[in-house]
Amino acid sequence: MPNPHSKPANAWRWFDPRRRDAGSWAFVLNRITAIGLTVYLYLHLIVLGKLAQGPEAFDSFIELAKRPVVIFGELLVVIAGIYHGLNGLRIALTSFGIAVPYQKQLFYGLMIVTIIASLIFAIRMFTA
Amino acid sequence: MIDTKSSPKPGENTWLWLLKIASGVLIFALLIIHLIVNHFVAPEGLLTYADVVAYFQNPLVVVMEGVFLVFVVLHSLLGSRSILLDLNPSPGVLRAIDWFLSLFGLAAIVYGLWLLLTVANQSV
Repeated sequence: MPNPHSKPANAWRWFDPRRRDAGSWAFVLNRITAIGLTVYLYLHLIVLGKLAQGPEAFDSFIELAKRPVVIFGELLVVIAGIYHGLNGLRIALTSFGIAVPYQKQLFYGLMIVTIIASLIFAIRMFTA
Repeated sequence: MIDTKSSPKPGENTWLWLLKIASGVLIFALLIIHLIVNHFVAPEGLLTYADVVAYFQNPLVVVMEGVFLVFVVLHSLLGSRSILLDLNPSPGVLRAIDWFLSLFGLAAIVYGLWLLLTVANQSV
């Protein structure tokens, strides 16, 4: 759990990888993906504004989005979304007292599902 | 990790905490559909303008994307507020954060719905 008396200057400790157990890793990854997904969400909404500018504006952007470096960035977002969603389900379950003693197993399980789903998306996104 | 469970933190309203969790479960289901449509159903990997307009001809899709937009904005801003609470803001700063997030969220939802309806009203 984060220090309840933490100060903004100590916020970097959220991401400090030293001396962490599984629950702490789940927290770090949840926070990193949360911040990344939030930034992405609003950039995504702004960029989708090109849909209002007509087919040329949107389709030229889609051509740009097919560059490998952009696809790689998109893949990171997809992986973040899958992890954050699955870990969120674990948090939702345990918030209501469900499967609380099995949190660690749930965390390892969701990491395996995240890796498999990420590989499937990576293959599709780079070969489509 | 064994006995820890998530609960509202000080300064976090229980109903809004519950909304963060419930919206999270809902948008994860919608995110899976969103990712499959945009990366697997799209013939060349990504939807073109014509593909997007054709997809939005279905009123169910318009409703689904509208619900997705509203709840993803709520979830992201409630989550951002929860992260900011970990920095122990003073009551004055927290009030300013609440105003900012509320207005930002409202603007994002209004803009997103406008965009959604603009696309839905295009003809194929």
